[in-house]
Amino acid sequence: MRCAPDAVKSTPFPTRRAAGALLAATALAACQPPPKDPQAALIAEGRQIFFNETFAGNGRTCGTCHREERNFTIDAAFIATLPKNDALFVAEFNPDLKQNFENPRLMREFGLILENLDGFGDLENRFTQRGVPHVLALRTSIASPQGPRTGWSGDGAPADGSLRAFAVGAVIQHFTKTLNRVAGVDFRLPTDRELDALEAFQASLGRQRDLELPLPLKGTVAKRGQEIFLDNALGKCNICHRNAGANATRGPQDAGNANFNTGVEDLPDQPADLSGERVPPDDGFGTPGDGTFNTPPLVEAADTGPFFHNNAVATIEGAVAFYNGQAFNNSPSGRFLAGTDPNGVGIRLDATQVVAVAAFLRVLNTLDNVRSSLELLTQSAALGFFEREEARRLLRRAAHETGDGITVLVGGGLHPDAVAHLNEAARLIDRAADRVFGRPGLTREAIQAQERARALMIGGPP
Amino acid sequence: MRTLLIGAAFLIASVGVPPAYGQKATEQYIPLGQSPGVSGKISSIGEISGTDARERTLTLAEPSGSRTVKITEKTRIFLDRSKLKQASLTGTFDDLRKGRRAEIKYEDPALKQVADWVKVEITQP
Repeated sequence: MRCAPDAVKSTPFPTRRAAGALLAATALAACQPPPKDPQAALIAEGRQIFFNETFAGNGRTCGTCHREERNFTIDAAFIATLPKNDALFVAEFNPDLKQNFENPRLMREFGLILENLDGFGDLENRFTQRGVPHVLALRTSIASPQGPRTGWSGDGAPADGSLRAFAVGAVIQHFTKTLNRVAGVDFRLPTDRELDALEAFQASLGRQRDLELPLPLKGTVAKRGQEIFLDNALGKCNICHRNAGANATRGPQDAGNANFNTGVEDLPDQPADLSGERVPPDDGFGTPGDGTFNTPPLVEAADTGPFFHNNAVATIEGAVAFYNGQAFNNSPSGRFLAGTDPNGVGIRLDATQVVAVAAFLRVLNTLDNVRSSLELLTQSAALGFFEREEARRLLRRAAHETGDGITVLVGGGLHPDAVAHLNEAARLIDRAADRVFGRPGLTREAIQAQERARALMIGGPP
Repeated sequence: MRTLLIGAAFLIASVGVPPAYGQKATEQYIPLGQSPGVSGKISSIGEISGTDARERTLTLAEPSGSRTVKITEKTRIFLDRSKLKQASLTGTFDDLRKGRRAEIKYEDPALKQVADWVKVEITQP
């Protein structure tokens, strides 16, 4: 696009001055970037609200619990890094919220957040303690034939139950200045525009579609793990987590997101229970609850632990092994699987099979980290000198994703060769973020390192 | 084929049978007329013109006319005291008084016969 007003020079003075002004204005307009995609603008607005808007409440934002640098969730390790005056800890320094708003010990030790899902009539005794669910891949994971299923029990949002309405419930539960929860006094409710923007932003996060398994994985153990996962007579995972997502299987088709009673509440020695703190039973969906909880996607699992609605299990191997245990096999879901099995078995995997399935999930997660990193790095590389702050922001996000991928693979002792390339990518990203000039070139080298790592884990694009 | 049938039967048996719906707990604190996706779309807002304690019905006068709905033991009744800058409460059938402004969300928005919840605006202490 030409912006220089060369035509001005051939026009006689003083007409030239007027013509020049007109032409300059026209040229300036012609040099403007094309109008932004309205959806992209809405998403950007949603991002700003998500991380900055306190809705006139106690200082918390959506990003207080759903931290971008921690895959839009938090855990005890991350919480331990936060300063004492972080809004997450408002119950510790706001006298109006000292009682019955959070349990600081359970928050700090286990990453648990207090929710009054069965009503606010008895704050002392009626509450649940739940982990913070990530908000990645929501476009693939909340739709069901019965309507949207949000939150750990699938009934997280008030009003019409939609993702859009979810923020209203969150503000009321978590952002209030006092336990009176009066709109217009203790907080303000999001506007329609803000709800639209928040919904658009959240829906834009992470995967936008489900995978199609099986994938051409290269790692020996992860490949076997995928086979077990997809075997409806052995792992039986694909029945409820179709393609390692959040949706169930009906014949060859996607049956949508579902709730199941898998017996998590019946696990013995749950960490929060061991603390001696008051933790009432969580009865899941509805009031009174029916004992079922919502199915989360598994692609994002390995770097968003701890697992299950109550953070009962810390590792992905432990989460897979849960399905071997009595709590699951005595649950309605476990008993049903056993009832349809010729040997009367729900799920029974030996240790090596548990590790194989976990390895599969670790590799899937890392591949998604790589996918996300490549998107971010590609966007960053395309930005010019005057957009370097935005470029750096994208690089920082890519650095987190890359770091997660490394942690996940190393934690499973998987693909040391790919880990080496991811480490190289991480170094290149750090250097790119520090540079004023040469950033795009380093970013492109980081992209190549990511692609080398991916090529060692899977044949062809994921 | 057998494993596919297992999958289908498992799904039917294990899925939460009731339709997915919004949790009602925080609904208590959403002022009348401000419930996203509900108010002005699938709820009715008007003035309580009558109640029948024996039949447990409520009649609401809205701009389009009057409507009588059933209040069951599952119907949640919320007292919206936000205009008094006081905490909203849960209420009872006795709080459904003639002349009060109210909003009704229906169990079935197409039939509009049974109230899922009723919000009553309290403007005087």
